Amino acid sequence: MIEVVLNDRLGKKVRVKCNEDDTIGDLKKLVAAQTGTRAEKIRIQKWYNIYKNHITLKDYEIHDGMGLELYYD
Amino acid sequence: MANRTDPAAKSIRGTNPQNLVEKILRSKIYQNTYWKEQCFGLTAETLVDKAMELDHLGGTHGGNRKPTPFMCLVMKMLQIQPEKEIVIEFIKNDDYKYVRILGAFYLRLTGTDVDVYRYLEPLYNDYRKLRQKLPEGKFSLTHVDEVIDELLTKDYSCDIALPRIKKRWTLETLGSLEPRRSVLEDDFEEEEEKEENDQLDGLEEEAHEKQDYYRGRSPARERDRDRRRDRDRYRERDYDRDYDRDYDRERGRGRDRDRDRERDRDRDRDRDRDRDRDRYRLRDEKDYGRDRERDREWEGRERERRDRDRGRRRSHSRSRSRSKDRKDREGGEHRKRHARSSTSPRRRDGAEENGTREEPKKKKERKEKKEDGTDHPDPEIAEANRLRASLGLKPLK
Repeated sequence: MIEVVLNDRLGKKVRVKCNEDDTIGDLKKLVAAQTGTRAEKIRIQKWYNIYKNHITLKDYEIHDGMGLELYYD
Repeated sequence: MANRTDPAAKSIRGTNPQNLVEKILRSKIYQNTYWKEQCFGLTAETLVDKAMELDHLGGTHGGNRKPTPFMCLVMKMLQIQPEKEIVIEFIKNDDYKYVRILGAFYLRLTGTDVDVYRYLEPLYNDYRKLRQKLPEGKFSLTHVDEVIDELLTKDYSCDIALPRIKKRWTLETLGSLEPRRSVLEDDFEEEEEKEENDQLDGLEEEAHEKQDYYRGRSPARERDRDRRRDRDRYRERDYDRDYDRDYDRERGRGRDRDRDRERDRDRDRDRDRDRDRDRYRLRDEKDYGRDRERDREWEGRERERRDRDRGRRRSHSRSRSRSKDRKDREGGEHRKRHARSSTSPRRRDGAEENGTREEPKKKKERKEKKEDGTDHPDPEIAEANRLRASLGLKPLK
């Protein structure tokens, strides 16, 4: 179980607990549940790499405590 | 400027009609090549031509959320705001299904509640296939009536948040609308009459029930289905609204199967139980003619009782397996079941608990998944697991 921090630099900063083998799509659902936006509208990036929905956090090498950028579509 | 709304256009729901589409999606549409090339200077007539060329519907797709031509045309309609008659013509036209869907979508966004229901409900009868582009970029198959159902019941479709409309029953009580008459209603009435006429042999209804039950059934279960399902179907129709569909439907069916069917599974405990079951079945058939209401309530109560009993049961068997060996446990349960079998609901709990191989396994699996996650000692993690279960994810490790 890892905890990831997502920040949209406009005031929304959320910490989400998830498994390493969750996909980005699952992470978006969890973030949507916490922030109130729709999961389809969320975009998770790291600098210019947009993270794809079907790849797991483990494959993206997202570790515990790592910060990701939260954008909206 | 190409992106400004027609100055003669009315404001929809208090704002510029283009604002119905939210800002980010709007900018994406404005930057889209289809919009820039094809949708420049479109009027209502030329828009029809473009709409006839559509071959799929959808919202945005891909990593950078590219809008579909369908989206661009919806935006164009919002921009030029065609007359209501034109939109209704779009909906009424039968030849081009995508033009129909485009008109229906636009009406859903801009029309009044009564109009929406009045013009969109006839489209429920249209069952043609449509191609829908998913957010991942793949295509999926859907149907016109499915899309209309989404438009009328959900509040988000094709990446646009649909404006809120009043619920149908509100409009019915206000008197603005008449109660919904489905085209299939006549067929249903015929079926009900037939049901009441021949209670005992429902052979001709098997075909219909195959349709009803197909969704919830596993193939193994289909094999064992009994013919006599009148009560099930009646209950299912009324229950759909009140209860959680799949779970309760399965349980209802399972229970009825326990009650009514000849079992062809080998279980050595069944022998004595069969006797009790037959007794019970006769009683049920008498009840059916009389009072369906009572059955339904009783079922609800019975379900609660079964839940309670099952919990109790399970703990019993668990403790038993720990202390004694298998044979003793089976013998003990067999004895216990015998003692209870005089009272029919309890006996059916016994039947249910150690009953059909498929059902308890499925139910246990489902329960275990949730229980493993949500009864974690740490409350935060339990909470997180509950959320995950509601989203359909596995619990945290």
